[in-house]
Amino acid sequence: MLMAGGYETLDISGDAGIRAFGSTLKELFINAATGMYSLITDTGSIAETVTVEVSVKSHSLEGLLVSWLNELVFRFDAHGFTGKSFSVISFITGDKDAADADAFSLSATVAGETFDPRRHEGRLLIKAATYHNLQIENIDGVWTAEIIFDI
Amino acid sequence: MEVLYNDVPSGVGSKGRIRLSAADERKLLLKGARWAVENGMGEEPDLEKTESGGMIDGADPSLISAKAYERGRSQQGTLGSGNHFLEIQYVDEIYDEKAANSLGLFPDQVTVMIHTGSRGFGHQVCTDFLEVMERAVGKYGFVLPDRELACAPFSSPEAGDYLAAMRAAANYAWANRQCIMHWTREAFMKVLGRSPQSLGMGLVYDVAHNIAKVEDHVVNGRKMKLVVHRKGATRAFPPGHPELPAAYRHVGQPVLIPGDMGRASFVLLGTEKAMEETFGSTCHGAGRIMSRHQAIRKAKGRAIWRELADRGIIVRSAGRETLAEEMSEAYKDISDVVDVVHRAGISKKVARLRPLGVVKG
Repeated sequence: MLMAGGYETLDISGDAGIRAFGSTLKELFINAATGMYSLITDTGSIAETVTVEVSVKSHSLEGLLVSWLNELVFRFDAHGFTGKSFSVISFITGDKDAADADAFSLSATVAGETFDPRRHEGRLLIKAATYHNLQIENIDGVWTAEIIFDI
Repeated sequence: MEVLYNDVPSGVGSKGRIRLSAADERKLLLKGARWAVENGMGEEPDLEKTESGGMIDGADPSLISAKAYERGRSQQGTLGSGNHFLEIQYVDEIYDEKAANSLGLFPDQVTVMIHTGSRGFGHQVCTDFLEVMERAVGKYGFVLPDRELACAPFSSPEAGDYLAAMRAAANYAWANRQCIMHWTREAFMKVLGRSPQSLGMGLVYDVAHNIAKVEDHVVNGRKMKLVVHRKGATRAFPPGHPELPAAYRHVGQPVLIPGDMGRASFVLLGTEKAMEETFGSTCHGAGRIMSRHQAIRKAKGRAIWRELADRGIIVRSAGRETLAEEMSEAYKDISDVVDVVHRAGISKKVARLRPLGVVKG
């Protein structure tokens, strides 16, 4: 059931999306990010020459996934940073009814390089990850999430 | 086309030519296209023919996040990607000679159309305020069917802050198009060795394509102030509307409806019927009929650029997949779409423009 690479792209008129999988939530978040980068460029051509640290928090798990992806969208759009490999430093999932803005948090280091239009293929320019129909589910022990991007 | 492609940065990961101090960034967000003109990029008549004079009041740069500033910094003066474009076109058909005359359009005239917006700056403003609005939904007790929807009462501090930030993004977009128009004029000057004035490169109209505005409308016979958000729609105000520049007050607001890169784009005029039936709005484009994947599959093994070149359309694009995604077959035929709004009376056809050269991101 797990796709090679841990994600598949969704075919939606007008927008772009991915379905990500993971045996753990950590893996799901990493695969969602890898899937998103595959919409932006050919990730096979990205080297690991720069490492950045990314920390996000939210009051819900879905919110955390959107914040995580939007933080990476920001790093790409503002600085051209394109991620390739991920190492999660901490992943805290809180009580979803707590309504505490910091209940869910993720911090990770991401290795990749700065996008160079001369060497890297430009695919889609992602504006943002959205909440549209977003649901993180555990089906028979596999975490899945469908994320639609604004492009 | 080569010069235009080089002089107007486009595509994924492209960077703009403008570097601004923090003070100038603030000025740009407050003054929009006027900032560009004051800095030598364009002329006063450009502003007269831009919606809201290219500068909407009520923008507050202090409400913009550090992230939005950072994201917008390298992108001012860039075209972007996806359906954004810069096209050299020509007037191929006139439907209303008198109206065309008022707009300065005539048969076989060469025109340029620029379709872009507030770039990553506007997207970051949206991302930032979605978080604010999401909290507001709970605070004010709204029940919404999709988490992608968010709202706050118009008089709330959240809505006030958002509008002031959105207005800054609108000004960013007007400045962006003004800069790109200026470089387009320069590119023509470089290649043809003639000034933009002698080439008659005056602006016909510049209109926003995703903006919420407070406007006067008549609802059930009563004059009311409404917030009209046009997204996937464009403004189409009728003759006599006080928002129109003097040059167009007797004919109505010019409406620009871009089609796909192989077929055509249209110039229309706003009507009284649009005011009565669609809050002074009409359609913004053709709309897709194929998903991006479908389009890429259909384009497999074909050279879209050569197919267009065979029809006399030169296209330059940084993205390999962009041309497949944006090919004509992926969109509804713009002529059919425009005929619908024309027959519905919410805008009337003035001229059809055919593409000659296309820059796609």
